[in-house]
Amino acid sequence: QLDRGCALPTAARAGLSSVSSQDVPAEKPRAIFHTSESDPAKHTEQHEGRLYNIPLEEVKAVFPHGLPHRFQQQIQTFNEARVMVRKPALEILAYLKGSNFAHPAVRYVIYGERGTGKTMTLCHVVHYCSRQGWLVLHVPDAHLWVKNCKELFQSSYNKDRLDQPLQASVWLKNFKTSNERFLEEIKTQKKYIWGKRESTEEGRPLREVVEQGLARVRSASDAVGVVLRELKQQSHRGSFRLLVAVDGVNALWGRTTLSKEDKSPVSPEELTLVHNLRKMLMNDWNGGAIVTTLSQTGSLFKPSSAYTPQQLLGKEGFDALDPFVPIPVPNYSPREFESCYGYYLERKWLQHEKAHTEDGKAELQFLSGSNPRQLDRLAGPL
Amino acid sequence: ASGLGRRLRAWLPRIVPVRWSRYNPSYLEPEVKKESHQKPLEELTLEEREQMELKAVRPIKAAPPSLSSSVFSDPMISKFTNMMMKSGNKVLARSLMSQTLEAIKRKQLEKYHKAPENEKETIECNPYVIFHQALKNCQPIIGLSNITKGGKTYQVPVPLTDNRKRFLAMKWLITECRENKHRRTLMPEKLSQELLLAFNNEGPVIKRKHVLHKMAEANRAYAHFRWW
Repeated sequence: QLDRGCALPTAARAGLSSVSSQDVPAEKPRAIFHTSESDPAKHTEQHEGRLYNIPLEEVKAVFPHGLPHRFQQQIQTFNEARVMVRKPALEILAYLKGSNFAHPAVRYVIYGERGTGKTMTLCHVVHYCSRQGWLVLHVPDAHLWVKNCKELFQSSYNKDRLDQPLQASVWLKNFKTSNERFLEEIKTQKKYIWGKRESTEEGRPLREVVEQGLARVRSASDAVGVVLRELKQQSHRGSFRLLVAVDGVNALWGRTTLSKEDKSPVSPEELTLVHNLRKMLMNDWNGGAIVTTLSQTGSLFKPSSAYTPQQLLGKEGFDALDPFVPIPVPNYSPREFESCYGYYLERKWLQHEKAHTEDGKAELQFLSGSNPRQLDRLAGPL
Repeated sequence: ASGLGRRLRAWLPRIVPVRWSRYNPSYLEPEVKKESHQKPLEELTLEEREQMELKAVRPIKAAPPSLSSSVFSDPMISKFTNMMMKSGNKVLARSLMSQTLEAIKRKQLEKYHKAPENEKETIECNPYVIFHQALKNCQPIIGLSNITKGGKTYQVPVPLTDNRKRFLAMKWLITECRENKHRRTLMPEKLSQELLLAFNNEGPVIKRKHVLHKMAEANRAYAHFRWW
């Protein structure tokens, strides 16, 4: 096996192109940390530590929301979207490939310290599933639903709950962009009455429910609830596979910073969006999978050193998500660090002349502690 | 007192303290660069060997927090960061500086990737090179000083030291960004724009430098009022 641990650009480019010739095209030897395999289904252990390219049109179609902000800036600067293939993602893909969809949906919880790549792992899985033709229900950050909400209305469906029209309509818009063709095929199974004069008949395509939610922003949260309910009921039929991808799932069982008009605090179950999403995350449906990520960065009232599922979910959340498959995401291994460093050099992101030297590289590795986010932040001004 | 002065003069430090230093003159400056410590014994010249023996017996001053052994540290950037700092908030000033450098890099890289092949070499993407060149372009050659003679104050053209030139360039850049821009734009954005304009010898700071030069040229007649 080739030793990618000491990947130096000059020596490796000549020597290693022969070994991985099926990956690297002959006319322009891209460095060994790239792979031309852009279908996540074909990613194996051999591609670990390498970066694969997602075409920009696919990025716009698959990820209308969900990519971290710094990564979106990087896509714009480099004019390409390169995602690193890492072990946790390969693990989840292997489980998804071998899972039996007649059994109830398995829940995967990706956890790890701050900035180790949990959201990017989730995006890798989402890309794989959308390439395989699954219906992807991607909630980019559940924390956005429990904080900084300007408009909270009492829900017309249930007097105790509160609606969030803005967040719901934003999510519906992005959901529509990513799953256009499924919205035509799936039909409603019940009649839904939105108001005095508006209703959706049985058997109409789901697209009408989504458009109703977008047109009448007041009933957007109820539209989201309807969409989730329909998808859950129809997933066992087998006509489509459902992936529920939620980032920052610990927001659903924590506390909120919102308050009602009489200044009393709102608990998460009183929000319609959170209530419906919690029902979706229960494993009483089959024909798909649930992949979630814990996140301390946007979380409320949690210490910054907390990263394990027990600490972030709390007792209530852990019991609700139990049993789940925990997937830890570590910092970069030496090979992955080399790969990332080489990529930044190649795209001319590291412009400082000392950054090209061994001393500079050792300093970057030490200062960042091989943490992907710290490396990105350090390499920014350099 | 004169003996103390002679001893003080013999020990001339690299970095001259701005205020009076409370250290005993026997204290030596700390050596931070890794390369100077890793040189084997044979390569050292006689003076360097004497210096090493002196360091074995003399006490060393405490290293100031702004002195770093990192290969990426730059004294000009640190000076600029200190001038941008308000009420001792170095963390904020440093993060603004790094965001500025990143913003410059992003703008230049985007221009680089969109440019045709023959123009790619002309586009400078290194934010440090741009920063240094912009500062150099903003430095005035000659300054004006107020001299009172016979009850009237005249603006007399006067040569400037290197430190004063650098200080004026940095001060003009920062005041330009703080005062003459829209209230809602963030400092990194404003600064990166100003630095790129100064790099190309355009922009309000270069104009201010030219205005100063013209005033000095206009007041040439009073140049003999200067006595230093």
